[in-house]
Amino acid sequence: MKKLLKSKWFIALIVLLVLAAFSVLSLLPGSPVKKLLKPVQLVSSPAQSVVKRAGDTLSDFWSAITDGIAIREENEALKAQIADLRYQLTQNEEAALRYEELKDALHIKDMFSNYDIYGASILSRESDEWFSTIRLNAGSTDGIVLEEGNSFPVLDVEMNLVGRVIETSDTESRVLPLLHEGFAVAGKVNVVNGATFMVIGDAELKRYGLCLVKDIDPDVHLEPGMEIVTSGDGGLFPEGIPIGVIQSVDYSNALEVTATLKPYSQIGRLEDVFIMIPYVEAEPAESTVAQGT
Amino acid sequence: MRLINANTRSRVRKIVVYAVYIILVSSIQVSFPDAFSFKGQTADLMFVFVVLSGYFNGFWDGAVVGFICGLVRDVFSPPAVVGLDGDVRVTAFMGAFTLFAVGIIGASFFTKRMHRNIPFSFVAVIFATVCYKTAGYLLIYGWSNLAGAESSLYMPLTFLVHSFLPQLLLNAIAAVPLMLLLRFLGPVSFKGNSKNDEILKKQGEGTWLGI
Repeated sequence: MKKLLKSKWFIALIVLLVLAAFSVLSLLPGSPVKKLLKPVQLVSSPAQSVVKRAGDTLSDFWSAITDGIAIREENEALKAQIADLRYQLTQNEEAALRYEELKDALHIKDMFSNYDIYGASILSRESDEWFSTIRLNAGSTDGIVLEEGNSFPVLDVEMNLVGRVIETSDTESRVLPLLHEGFAVAGKVNVVNGATFMVIGDAELKRYGLCLVKDIDPDVHLEPGMEIVTSGDGGLFPEGIPIGVIQSVDYSNALEVTATLKPYSQIGRLEDVFIMIPYVEAEPAESTVAQGT
Repeated sequence: MRLINANTRSRVRKIVVYAVYIILVSSIQVSFPDAFSFKGQTADLMFVFVVLSGYFNGFWDGAVVGFICGLVRDVFSPPAVVGLDGDVRVTAFMGAFTLFAVGIIGASFFTKRMHRNIPFSFVAVIFATVCYKTAGYLLIYGWSNLAGAESSLYMPLTFLVHSFLPQLLLNAIAAVPLMLLLRFLGPVSFKGNSKNDEILKKQGEGTWLGI
């Protein structure tokens, strides 16, 4: 017995069983098992930030050397673009005033007016095809408080859909990216009363940077190049967030038409993202209610 | 008079060198994955590092380094799994389980017979990658069927061509610099001795139990 307890294989087996049990327990809602990783996070996160910063500095330095001429040309083009945009801006100011008047008159709601937008930076990306969540540097102390069963949309700087927050800790959040096979969002063609369907991540299409579009009504005609936005169905994502464009449509099975979608957001190139949190309006004060009644 | 003896020095060296390499390797992998990508797969630096640690430095090195690297992996990029209720949840300790097992596999094959020689370290990396990818695919296939997550499934041929082979290639390439690091700037000194297993007996195997 003593010999067995000292055996390296026996010790390894026990450790594997304990780790397997912890892995299963961590899947339970509100499991405290994840808190055991906090000390590792406290040590590894700052170290990783230092390595990342050093890598970014090196990369920037290298880019400054190699892209010098290209940057100068781009700068000239951007200056011309700024001048053009300034002119357009003055033209649009009047249109904006008109819009405000009409908006009040028609009670049009701003698309994201019920959401608070929080900025965050990407700390780490996927390790391999299976260890593939993304870590952000904003957590519950920054106001990203996630309740069980809830989730927050994550957008890139151009307001395209990137994924959704599925877990938060004090200082960090984890994002399920759009291409992950567990991701699903209700989408529609970006026209008035556009047909709705589901946009989901797919293990096979992930390697090509594509999503699968399914549950398409057989009467609906999709074409490559059509822009797809969130439909707002399900309540998790507000309506109108750009997702991507249809790349191909498969009509081979008339009862189950599917399509592939190329997302706008390129997760590999992103550094900063925005988290949309539904804005909860404060309950009206009792005095106001009393006055009203 | 020496303040610390050779044994203590080798332990300190081991801890410091492993700590630096674990932080560096894991941080580089999750910070710049696109730099090591090919056909949608990423070279798994942490995985290769753990296999080689086990292969060159013995069972306990493989196990301990695998466990720590796995914990770091669980913090940096844990897998998200579709649960039986259809909800997607982030898991914990899956990385620790995987890399602990991988460290043991790396230490247990092609060792005594091959005297931990350099060419066979590639075979060890390839063998461990085959085990990892096959076990991972079967596990995901079984779980996805159970949870009804069709989107997680892909055909064996697709898996072979687009996941298995690119990952093998990338891991074999990643093994070159990591093997050089572990062998020539590593936590265990192999200087001036051809019988590596003897060195491991003195410096490697069992050292962790004494810490």
